[in-house]
Amino acid sequence: MAANGSGNGAVPAVNGRAYPLEDHTCDVVVVGAGGAGLRAVVGCSEAGLRTVCLTKVFPTRSHTVAAQGGISAALGNMGPDDWRWHMYDTVKGSDWLGDQDAIEYLCRNAPAAVYELEHWGVPFSRTEEGKIYQRPFGGMTTNYGQGIAQRTCAAADRTGHAMLHTLYGAALKHSAEFYVEYFVLDLIMDSEGACRGVVALNLDDGTLHRFRSQMTILATGGYGRAYYSCTGAHTQTGDGNAMVLRAGLPLQDMEFVQFHPTGIYGSGCLITEGSRGEGGYLVNSEGERFMERYAPSAKDLASRDVVSRAMTIEIREGRGVGKSKDHIFLHLDHLDPKILAERLPGISESAKIFAGVDVTKEPIPVLPTVHYNMGGIATNYHGEVLVKKDGNPDHVVPGLMALGEAACVSVHGANRLGSNSLIDLVVFGRAAALRCADVLEAGANQPTLAKDAGDFALARLDRFRNASGSTPTSELRTNMQRVMQNNCAVFRTGEVLSEGVKLIDEVLASAADVKVSDRSLIWNTDLVETLEFDNLIAQAVVTMNSAANRTESRGAHAREDFPDRDDKQWMKHTQAWLDPETRKVTIDYRPVHTYTMTNEISYIEPKARVY
Amino acid sequence: MVEFTLPKNSRVTDGKVWPAPVGAANTREFRVYRWNPDDGKNPHVDTFTVDLDDCGPMVLDALLWIKNKIDPTLTFRRSCREGICGSCAMNIDGVNTLACTKDLGEIKGPVKVNPLPHQPVVKDLVPDLTNFFAQHALVQPWLQTDTVAPEKEWTQSREDREKLDGLYECILCACCSTSCPEYWWNPDRYLGPAALLHAYRWVIDSRDEASGERLDLLEDPFRLYRCVTIMNCSKACPKSLNPAKAIAELKKLMIERQKT
Amino acid sequence: MKVTSIRTPLAKVRGLGSAKSGTEHWWEMRLTAIALVPLTFAAVVIVISLIGRNHAAVAQILGSPLVAIIMLLFIYSTTLHMRLGLQSVIEDYVHGKAMKTALLIANTFLTIVLWLACTYAILKLSFGV
Repeated sequence: MAANGSGNGAVPAVNGRAYPLEDHTCDVVVVGAGGAGLRAVVGCSEAGLRTVCLTKVFPTRSHTVAAQGGISAALGNMGPDDWRWHMYDTVKGSDWLGDQDAIEYLCRNAPAAVYELEHWGVPFSRTEEGKIYQRPFGGMTTNYGQGIAQRTCAAADRTGHAMLHTLYGAALKHSAEFYVEYFVLDLIMDSEGACRGVVALNLDDGTLHRFRSQMTILATGGYGRAYYSCTGAHTQTGDGNAMVLRAGLPLQDMEFVQFHPTGIYGSGCLITEGSRGEGGYLVNSEGERFMERYAPSAKDLASRDVVSRAMTIEIREGRGVGKSKDHIFLHLDHLDPKILAERLPGISESAKIFAGVDVTKEPIPVLPTVHYNMGGIATNYHGEVLVKKDGNPDHVVPGLMALGEAACVSVHGANRLGSNSLIDLVVFGRAAALRCADVLEAGANQPTLAKDAGDFALARLDRFRNASGSTPTSELRTNMQRVMQNNCAVFRTGEVLSEGVKLIDEVLASAADVKVSDRSLIWNTDLVETLEFDNLIAQAVVTMNSAANRTESRGAHAREDFPDRDDKQWMKHTQAWLDPETRKVTIDYRPVHTYTMTNEISYIEPKARVY
Repeated sequence: MVEFTLPKNSRVTDGKVWPAPVGAANTREFRVYRWNPDDGKNPHVDTFTVDLDDCGPMVLDALLWIKNKIDPTLTFRRSCREGICGSCAMNIDGVNTLACTKDLGEIKGPVKVNPLPHQPVVKDLVPDLTNFFAQHALVQPWLQTDTVAPEKEWTQSREDREKLDGLYECILCACCSTSCPEYWWNPDRYLGPAALLHAYRWVIDSRDEASGERLDLLEDPFRLYRCVTIMNCSKACPKSLNPAKAIAELKKLMIERQKT
Repeated sequence: MKVTSIRTPLAKVRGLGSAKSGTEHWWEMRLTAIALVPLTFAAVVIVISLIGRNHAAVAQILGSPLVAIIMLLFIYSTTLHMRLGLQSVIEDYVHGKAMKTALLIANTFLTIVLWLACTYAILKLSFGV
């Protein structure tokens, strides 16, 4: 136990004494135990590095578990395929905002990553020959856009669940060290701008822990809960992103928020794109398969941003279904019930529970719902965090990595293709572990932490724990979610966005009046939700400002006042900082990597994006 | 002896009756187990009145409504809210299930909400599942092979893959194990239905080369054979899996390698 | 509060390891159960047929070869089944080490005594010693 924070005027305290801090030292700290976090944990443990995984929920509760459709890799089990075709689709899906060196790394390493998962035990569905079954998915084509590819490897419609449980098993096999239900409060940054570890709260007994490490890997997921309706879990609050902002580092491309076309109307629960891959289609109130008009060749399997916009237009033009004409129907009832039972059992169950619909007989009411954040912590394809510094757009922040939805490598650019996120998790989880094995020496001596390292985190914890304003967290959260839902949706205009900037700033200002009712340190979910809200609002502010700033339409960012993509001015990544004191947003840019990793494929030149 | 009465400091008392929402027409009474490790008091049951017109259709929606609108200190786990992560397992109306997929319409009268039975309570509806997860780890839930792995995937016939259906879907919510009396009496020695279901999932995976060693690990009067086919597990499973059948299949395999 | 212990959770659940037995117990429990279906039926029929008869007639019926063999099988299956079943009950409900061991021993002794006494009675009737 180390006494903390003496010599600091504003020492936070519990019962009049400084919060006691327990110190730990390890080689690598991984924050988050979803797909990316676990893959990194396994890789680092295998490499002989002392690896610690901190997670606020038990590993198999992470939201990777809810991924349904599958994981993309050009295995060619269902017909000819090539990782270059996969790369072309991903670049096109990203609307040319993705870094092509990273996309090459992703698509080239995808097959090996899937085989590795299979070897660890993932119960993939099978073809007649006993190979991994692959299904069609939105935006996945053969021969550079010519035909429809079957590239998405699936375990029925529970691929994420199967993967996460297998990855957890692999971590158990390597006796990885888990700290479960530890809520990480903040990064410890030193005066040179390097990350030196994290400070975490153990929910179970309220103790505080300081982890000192050579490398900190953030795999904390997205922040879908900044919106009122999202497919994501309650725990999807982008804690890592917010820690990075508080550490004075920027977040990248935060204006790009993916709306999944088929969230169940009302509850927002996900219905996989694989349902359309297996032959499902969308209809409007006139019974028309309207996607044929918007994407004549890919139809219902166009990219997600395209389908979500088409649905929104249909509803807006009065062709929505239901009493208020505010949603769309997804038909699966023409499919063989045997196929539904074999390949889509999970969503059949979800539709029954959350929409009261028997998919073999009735259509599912669906609505575009916030699903994925393309933006996040800028990294290279090793997972190392990048920041523009002294004119160098690719300056590596020492000691810090980011993975998965929290990261912006950027392989998804302005719009992610379905099934590209699961492969992102394992390919870059593995890449980060390889990098750690390369650059770190197991058990290397680490300089002692400054005496006040972590005080910042404790002060923040203490402030919220004793917050005695008049607005409960839930009310602030709802206000934020409403603003994001109304002012930063599928279609955006300058007017709506500037109103959004104003409104979200008001929510941010009103957060000073937050009221926390539970003063305990043991399993204080009121406090945790408040810390999470504080994380969310920072990301919401950055998202809204980044969206208002980008005056073009690209991928998921659709500006009605700027309907075209503007490669001349806007083929660049947004980097947005949030000043910790004034909470004002500053924006700068990083160039998109317009080169590939090897000369086995050359840079894919931008062109019009039609499906 | 097994204790059939609760120790003095664990006896559940009547708790606070929270005021009903003003002007709500369509309400429902909730009786929720509360225990705060900080206040030194006995566990108690609080009564809340939920405005159903202002809240979603599931029990979890109601608990969130209570936490957001009435008492922010109410403590429970939740995450995916769509029945796949297993966080919000609790005892609702006398049955272990997931709060997020339990429709309020299926419950008659006041809704009684308790933590999963026979687990140490950390706070309110949050049980300590450390032992449960350790038992899952004990069955070595990963593929074990000695043959050098192929360059591509291990092939598996569709029939062999089909054998994993009804097993791999387990979400480790602990509804089954904590509904089993044998698990209540012997949580330290009986592995419980969830861990055994996982064990069977790996035993019959056609790719796995350690079926025998896995059975060795289970062949024990307590680890496996404490199951006396009460079948509460299969009744409780919110994912409609059948752990009792998996356990029966394990016993059949034991017989197969020794007796027949 | 979390039950705190210096032992790791895995050490706790691994305990003393697998006993590599239990199948025999389970198998015998099932075998005796199967055997008891016809045997119980036969025993009930035999006992009912004895109602109202005098001692000599009862002794003669129970001593006759077929009836005696059925009754011996019935007694064996019942007492074995009882021993195995009671063992499980004791293991489930009695957790104090000394008490549990004592009861397990007592269970074994009592069921053997019961088996032997009943068997002796039938044999005595059969052979009239």
